[in-house]
Amino acid sequence: MLSPKRVKYRKRQRGKTDGVATRGNFLAFGEYGLVAEEPKWITNRQIEAARVAMTRHIKRGGKVWIRIFPHMPYTKKPAETRQGKGKGNPEGWVAVVKTGTVMFEMGGVQEDLAREALRLAASKLPIKTKFIMRREVE
Amino acid sequence: MNEVSLTGVLRKEDFGSAGARRERAAGRIPAVIYGKEEPVHITLDAIEFRNILRRVSESTLLTLKIGRKQKLVLMKALQENVLLDQITHVDFFEVTTDEVLRANVSIVLEGHPEGVKFGGVLEQVAYEVEVECLPLDLPQHILVDVSGLGLNEAITVGDIKLPEGVKIHTSAEATIAAVKSIREEVEEEEVEEDLAEAEEGEAAHAHHGGEGTSAHEE
Repeated sequence: MLSPKRVKYRKRQRGKTDGVATRGNFLAFGEYGLVAEEPKWITNRQIEAARVAMTRHIKRGGKVWIRIFPHMPYTKKPAETRQGKGKGNPEGWVAVVKTGTVMFEMGGVQEDLAREALRLAASKLPIKTKFIMRREVE
Repeated sequence: MNEVSLTGVLRKEDFGSAGARRERAAGRIPAVIYGKEEPVHITLDAIEFRNILRRVSESTLLTLKIGRKQKLVLMKALQENVLLDQITHVDFFEVTTDEVLRANVSIVLEGHPEGVKFGGVLEQVAYEVEVECLPLDLPQHILVDVSGLGLNEAITVGDIKLPEGVKIHTSAEATIAAVKSIREEVEEEEVEEDLAEAEEGEAAHAHHGGEGTSAHEE
């Protein structure tokens, strides 16, 4: 599963996910892509589940690019704990995804196969997504 | 070369982002023509433009009718809002038939590579190349035959056969497509699953143990 090798600080402030993506919002490698239609934290488990779903569907053909990376640690307080006593412990890693981010790309397969594979991948994610294709005019 | 024509309306006032927004709301797309004279601002019918968009590429010559005038143009850039599925702006580059120009021509791969039969995956690295020619010689696509590509072989820009009068400007060593061997995904997954199961098993064991201890303490 994806996670950073080393981070400067163990815990991080949550930040905001307002607005649309101004980077990573176009197809950079493949012919097809999956775009986020709403902002959310995507965990490394969800990214892995989506990757497995689509690579299984396309079997040996094609290539998949994962355009998001879970850089951000998230914390959680233990169950049945009173408020206070500081920030919780790091629980996992998330990628901060903004509206319009191209999360996955695919190439080397037919359109219908890519569409189905990315639909299966989308079903593993907690957000609404959209399938996009490369255009001849950039 | 197939000819495509498009009708535009000259935009004389209501410029700026607010004006453009109003045009889009009215079903029109703001566009600009540049290259020869002063830039001209126009608007296009959104439905008509969407219909021709399926047939054109960056190297398709378009006849743009604005009032009584006709201009020969290439579509240089296209801005679109993927989320709203809306084309927001189009750039046209004016050309004349007797003047050599540079344009990007898209690459279309054809054929099934040999290497795919032996477990390789065809990967297209470049989707367009820059060419120099007269506008009427400009090809709509460049077809690249990849059927002879074996495993771990690549086709470069230097291997492309171009029509007469067309000169290429992208480096001859640049890769267009390659057949690469891939790792076996299945084996990796099985190992991962085994590890996951092992971890789950350990976790469950520890969890039960923990609960037992706490229950005993209570």
